[in-house]
Amino acid sequence: MSDIQQTVYVVEDDEAVRDSLELLLKSAGKEVRTYRTANAFLNDYSDKMAGCIVLDIRMPGMDGLELQKKLNERHSILPIIFVTGHGDVPMAVDAMKEGAIDFIQKPYREGALLEKIENALELDREQRKTLGEKQEIVRRIKTLTPRESEIMGRMIAGQANKVIAIELDISQRTVEIHRSRVMHKMGTHSLAHLVRMVLSVKDRIDLG
Amino acid sequence: MTEPVTATSEATVLLVDDNPQNLKVLYETLKDRGYRLLIANDGEKALTLAQRHQPEVILLDIMMPDMDGYEVCRRLKSAPLTADSAVVFLSALDDVDSKVKGFALGGADFIAKPFQAQEVIARVWTHAQVILLERELQARNRQLENDQSRILNAISEGIYGLDPRGNVLFANPAAAIITGCSNDELIGQNFYDLHFNTRPPEGDQPMIDTVPVQATCTQGIAEHQRDVPMRRRDGSVFPAEYRATPKLENDQLIGAVVVFRDITAELASEQALEEARQTVQEQRDQLAHASRMSTMGEMAAGFAHEVNQPLTAITNYARVALRMMADDPLDRTLIQQTLAKIEAQSHRASEVIRRIRRFVKKPVAGKEVLSIAGLLEETRQFAEVDARHNDGDVEIHVEDDVPDVLADPVQVQQVALNLIRNALESTRSAGRDTPVRVRAELTSPECVLISVTDEGEGLPEGAEERLFLPFYTTKAEGMGIGLVLCRSLIQAQGGDIGFERPPEGGARFYFTLPVATT
Repeated sequence: MSDIQQTVYVVEDDEAVRDSLELLLKSAGKEVRTYRTANAFLNDYSDKMAGCIVLDIRMPGMDGLELQKKLNERHSILPIIFVTGHGDVPMAVDAMKEGAIDFIQKPYREGALLEKIENALELDREQRKTLGEKQEIVRRIKTLTPRESEIMGRMIAGQANKVIAIELDISQRTVEIHRSRVMHKMGTHSLAHLVRMVLSVKDRIDLG
Repeated sequence: MTEPVTATSEATVLLVDDNPQNLKVLYETLKDRGYRLLIANDGEKALTLAQRHQPEVILLDIMMPDMDGYEVCRRLKSAPLTADSAVVFLSALDDVDSKVKGFALGGADFIAKPFQAQEVIARVWTHAQVILLERELQARNRQLENDQSRILNAISEGIYGLDPRGNVLFANPAAAIITGCSNDELIGQNFYDLHFNTRPPEGDQPMIDTVPVQATCTQGIAEHQRDVPMRRRDGSVFPAEYRATPKLENDQLIGAVVVFRDITAELASEQALEEARQTVQEQRDQLAHASRMSTMGEMAAGFAHEVNQPLTAITNYARVALRMMADDPLDRTLIQQTLAKIEAQSHRASEVIRRIRRFVKKPVAGKEVLSIAGLLEETRQFAEVDARHNDGDVEIHVEDDVPDVLADPVQVQQVALNLIRNALESTRSAGRDTPVRVRAELTSPECVLISVTDEGEGLPEGAEERLFLPFYTTKAEGMGIGLVLCRSLIQAQGGDIGFERPPEGGARFYFTLPVATT
């Protein structure tokens, strides 16, 4: 997971600001891609992108807030740092409500900007890691047979083997075999861990 | 006795003869010819009738008992009421002496007895006409004289009639009042001496031409001067305006007529007006300035953004340059490029600030020869600070034949900016993104018209009439001052401002500016 290349995506209409920011971030060792308009970024966007967005809040055409909304609609998890000007506080507040992680006011000091970018990248990494783990859990759940899924659901609900055997009208031994297969397929030895794993992805799967 | 008028206007003819037969013949001859005929058979009756009726023509027999025709004639001529009647003697006497005597007494004509009807008719008609015309002429003369003296007396301007040396021949009552003399005192005074303390030169010595009216009196040149210090009799001085017109008789200069008045009050009110005008001008400038400041306030966020962009870039480039300095080996070219970028961005920032300063500075109320294209372009740059904010766009089109105009650049820019910002705001309120179109064209050889058209919300019905009135506004947060001020500013440039509804909707405001004459 650590080998994912993170990029700072700069969306800024002002050529000088864009150019100088690109040079600055590159000189600080960041991978940088710049976009002149919100639309250009949106056209380029894919959920494979990792890193963060440094987004000018005030732009002709689609502005930063609108781009944020469009990205939210596409379930983007890229952290957004808004760049605001004097008097843009109400817009910045809106941006934070919509899930932006931070904003920075122009003209900014490099240290402050880089710190915010580092935080954003760290958040992105974590989110991506969590996302990767969840995807793995979902993948594993999908390898279960319908019967195993059923039994896992009852395990998580806290039913004892005996109860499961009676309710499903199968032998307790059969339940134990299914149970051990579930634990094996899900890659754990602990029921508590299994519960945590399944609950973490419960919004993504249907346990029936 | 009277008969309907036929050919002549009604004239009265008095027939005087002691012989009834003669009277009858005369009466028969003249009746039905449009005359009013009176008859007397002796001198006394004739005088009484003449006094009462003032006949135009009197046919008068010379040889009468008691009072003869000569005596009647003498008395008629000596009485004012009857003096102008035409006396035509009727007489058998045909000798020269009696005719001479008759003419000497004021008689107009003779008709010899026995008379011919045609002759009587012809002579009476001629004399009646002459007297009628004379009387009409006299009546008119009297009327004219009355009018003239009424005018001269009633007029508030002083009037002098001067001889060529400047001596007063005539003065009206107003002249006396203005100069503080009685009318009688004025007559015979010397105009130059009395009013300008300049004695007229003796004999043939030339006059000094600097004295007012002197050129009119001596060379026949009409003069008109204003605010000339003129002395009253008591030596005090008043500002006067006068017109001097040469008086000519048979192409000969015989003096001048001077019409003059005291303009003290007039000058005072002119000065008051001028002061008021200046106050208005100052207040307009102050208001304009305040309004520009307020516009700047509204646009502050936009300007901060405009300045912060280059500052941000400068900060970034500077940090990059610092990093490069730490590199080994040094990439001089890259550092130079980066420093050049910093310089360019500094210029950009100072340009924004320069624009703001120029806009908010107090105007020196100076009109300049301006390029419309340049002025509109700069205004666009301003407005785009807003446009960026509002997602709007401004398109400028200046026709090729638009010449330079004469106007105060700051004030014109203020008007243009105000109209463009209104248009952007209206477009945004209507939820559109069509550009605001600014157009300059030559509408006449003296006039450039600049229009600002938007496809925004337009204006409510009937707004035209109140649009340029103070405190009328269609905006929730508007004060209703902007357009009033715009009109005032444009009128100060010698232009006008107006509004029309484009057929495709939205609004079009326009203003005109005078073309700069080369």
